[in-house]
Amino acid sequence: MSEQQHSGTQDSTHFGFKTVARDEKVSMVANVFHSVAAKYDVMNDLMSLGIHRLWKRFTIDCSGVRPGQKVLDLAGGTGDLTALFSRRVGPTGQVILADINESMLNVGKDKLRDLGLVNNISYVQANAEALPFADNSFDIITIAFGLRNVTDKDAALRSMFRVLKPGGRLLVLEFSKPTEAWLSKVYDLYSFKLLPAMGQLVANDRESYQYLAESIRMHPDQDTLKQMMQQAGFAETSYHNLTGGIVALHRGYKF
Amino acid sequence: MLKLLLPGLLCTVAEKVLNPVIGMDPDAHTRLNRLQGKQFAVRLRGIPLRLVFTAQQNGIWLNSHDEPVDCSISADLSALQQLSDPSQLTRLIREDKLQIDGDLQTLQQFSQFFQQLNPDWQERLSIYLGDAMAHKATNGIQLLQRSIRQYLQQSDHNLRELAQDELRLTPVAAEVQQFSQDVSAVAARTELLQRQLAGLLSQSRAFA
Repeated sequence: MSEQQHSGTQDSTHFGFKTVARDEKVSMVANVFHSVAAKYDVMNDLMSLGIHRLWKRFTIDCSGVRPGQKVLDLAGGTGDLTALFSRRVGPTGQVILADINESMLNVGKDKLRDLGLVNNISYVQANAEALPFADNSFDIITIAFGLRNVTDKDAALRSMFRVLKPGGRLLVLEFSKPTEAWLSKVYDLYSFKLLPAMGQLVANDRESYQYLAESIRMHPDQDTLKQMMQQAGFAETSYHNLTGGIVALHRGYKF
Repeated sequence: MLKLLLPGLLCTVAEKVLNPVIGMDPDAHTRLNRLQGKQFAVRLRGIPLRLVFTAQQNGIWLNSHDEPVDCSISADLSALQQLSDPSQLTRLIREDKLQIDGDLQTLQQFSQFFQQLNPDWQERLSIYLGDAMAHKATNGIQLLQRSIRQYLQQSDHNLRELAQDELRLTPVAAEVQQFSQDVSAVAARTELLQRQLAGLLSQSRAFA
């Protein structure tokens, strides 16, 4: 699938398998996350059988985070990565949890406070396409399971590149394309049959989880995303397929 | 398929065990303050895994990566067990059993921190069992530990005696030493004989 197909036309874009006006997508995605925020963590554990925690751990490993660094956890939602980063950067570092969705940000804020993580974390409601930070501000930027919901992914990548310090790195953890044909078939069955049913049962929300499955299929594959990162200015871009390519972690540097 | 994720799983489990144990030592946090912000990495030879320990005031956090850290060591398991004795460091490095990159003081500080870790198990147990039961349980565990240690020491001693004195399967230390001395003496005499033979050969060639 080409980049144009992924990003839609100039006036329209994708919302799952539907084609919608660009202006509409933001509010439609917002509605999905307002709806799922309260059950987000439970559903993540259920849907991935807890493996999402290991994907996030791997992201932290690839970040090479050091005490004292400044980290932006973009589309950070309920703050899983923020918690891992906060403990590692310590009191001399800082983690900013940013999300466009207020409901998700509130769930994240409550969860991190309950974990006793308060001293080095700030919360910002921000759109990834136009980040409200100065140029060259962060040592590390992560966006986990967020990029596929962004309307203009290229603009978001450019914005991340701008706020990253020279020598800093971006990590994109996102659903991707399974590398094995048999896994792809099993995964399709799981995503389109089981996932919406689980969403209905646990969160009483079938549509949001139907959107999740569709949005994953519309997201750029591993090589396309790598190319998009290079076009945004990132150097030494690479990716690791996790769990057979169901998820991929892309990494790029700003030099 | 899960190979990349296994180090993360290991680090998660290690953190879940280590940090509650640190939390049970009332003095650990004061000692952690001295280490705060330091990173130390261990690579066990033969295992494709490098564990990075990051010390912060609220605990020690683990990762697995190859990024630069304050101090990094590469060692085999037997050398790692001897690290608690600073006098062994030079010997281990000379014998290539241990390689250290970075700040040696960080290594010593981390090593000291783990050696001094003294969790108050009784205090934690008392929350669930009550003071009296926790005291009895802790005494019981300590008694069991001592008995097991004594049993292992006695078994080791008995096995050595059986193998050396009764079954004559292995030599005692004095026999090994005597054997080494004998081998050295034979080697010296052989060398002398070789030199004498070489001299005789050159003489016979001169007469011929």
